[in-house]
Amino acid sequence: MNPQILVDGLIAGAMYGLGAIGVTLTYSILRFANFAHSELLTFGAYAALALSSALGVLSAGLLAPLGPFSFGWSLPLAAITAMALTGLLALAVDAVLFGRLRARRSSIIVMVMASFGAALTLRSLLEFVFTSKPAYFTRELQIALPLGGGMRATPDQLLALVLAIALVVAVHLLLTRTAIGRSMRAVSENQALAGVVGVDVRRVIRVVWLLGAVLACVAGIMAGLLVQLRPYMGFDLLLPLFAAAILGGIGSVPGAMLAGLIVGLAEAGTVQLVGAEWRTAVAFIILVLVLLLRPHGLFGRPQA
Amino acid sequence: MNAAAPPPALATRALVAGYERDLPIVRGVDFEVAPAELVVILGPNGAGKSTLVKAIAGLVPIHAGQAFLAGADITASPVQEKVRHGLAFVPQTENIFATLTIQDNLQLAADILPRSEQAARIAEVYELFPDLAARRSACAGNLSGGQRQMLAVARALIVKPSVLILDEPSAGLSPKIVGEVFSRLKEINTAGITIVLVEQNVKAALAIAHRAVILVEGELRHDGPAATLADDPIVAQLYLGATPAGREEQR
Repeated sequence: MNPQILVDGLIAGAMYGLGAIGVTLTYSILRFANFAHSELLTFGAYAALALSSALGVLSAGLLAPLGPFSFGWSLPLAAITAMALTGLLALAVDAVLFGRLRARRSSIIVMVMASFGAALTLRSLLEFVFTSKPAYFTRELQIALPLGGGMRATPDQLLALVLAIALVVAVHLLLTRTAIGRSMRAVSENQALAGVVGVDVRRVIRVVWLLGAVLACVAGIMAGLLVQLRPYMGFDLLLPLFAAAILGGIGSVPGAMLAGLIVGLAEAGTVQLVGAEWRTAVAFIILVLVLLLRPHGLFGRPQA
Repeated sequence: MNAAAPPPALATRALVAGYERDLPIVRGVDFEVAPAELVVILGPNGAGKSTLVKAIAGLVPIHAGQAFLAGADITASPVQEKVRHGLAFVPQTENIFATLTIQDNLQLAADILPRSEQAARIAEVYELFPDLAARRSACAGNLSGGQRQMLAVARALIVKPSVLILDEPSAGLSPKIVGEVFSRLKEINTAGITIVLVEQNVKAALAIAHRAVILVEGELRHDGPAATLADDPIVAQLYLGATPAGREEQR
């Protein structure tokens, strides 16, 4: 077996993991599967592309590659603004759609269907604005560096992996060491009781949307940087994201990242051992197996 | 209301509440609780006892009437604001966060206090509940029924409430543990905290209460001193709809 699948799987898995954290947090707190989450990845990536291009027009020096990486200062600067914009988009969708449905005490299936509608709308809008033609943050070519053991990775790929791990640690610390994290865990377990204890549940929901959107934006930028940008890039990631969120256990941030890595490695292994055409089936098979054998996933708690 | 007299710690005026507007469970309840009083709300199953206290706490919609805390109208206050106004509520079931540690359960309640006061307040509550202090890092889901109830009460006390409402704290507990819980509630009340208790365990509740009110079909049917209530035949008929022998059985 070619050891390169380890690197390929970990890098793809890091992307899945970041996206799955948003899925798992919104699922555990809002109690529905938000199928529009993957469109936040796409929106974040395109927002960063638009802003990065605009910065490049203002100052061509910002496009000059940073050290070993393929991108210049324009991308990290654009990424920060794109994260804010993606967060605002998530809050806007909640205010216009999901929040109103919650206020009406709509059933879970209504929320899920609404998320499909939101996803379709966002995806179509992005396709309308940016066209379906693939886009790239940079056209710079990168040489993969030898990592030893027959494995290679580009500096961009290594940066994405390190960034993903750093973000997971940061989110885990946020959840376990801060007041807002404690509130999020409390709302996840029992929303009514959390209110009785003094937790502002609506504020927690806003924080969850923001956090999930920011992570989705980063995952989208990673996907755009390492592969390409397309209006359907989020849609294509939907199944791996949900497979990772459910395999990790709903509500578990480390679980989502670990499961993302597992899904990524399984896909990379399948491509090499079985064939590339089976890649998309892997997440589906994992999802079905987890739901059948261990519905609460690796780190989730069984339903009472 | 007399300007010289302090307002009731808790009061309702013609309160109508229920999950559905068309199906009110609580129907026009007027009741008052004086500061530092311990009042028990009794009544048969389905009388609306839990709905009444949940409505006051903000968990069930109030469709008409008002609720007051120390004279301030809290009818429309969001549930989390009521805690800040000094109203603590301990639900009957699922009243702790089972996946959080004991410390995190208390810290969560303390998070609404100024940061400088949080540690000291948690330490004070641990002094009241040394059993919890000894297991502060334990997952709350691993506690026994009695310990869970103590944790729920401890968490409610963190914010130094003026009024503590408990919905059937004896439910599912052994008689020995019920005795411990009620004895602790009496101590808390003696320290000056107003307590409103919804209970099915009539005997134990009347033993510690100053006053009892009886709710039947969502309406207040009796209000009087707890000491005389146990032997009141009219009350027995109202509450139990049965003979004194039946009342003994209910106890």
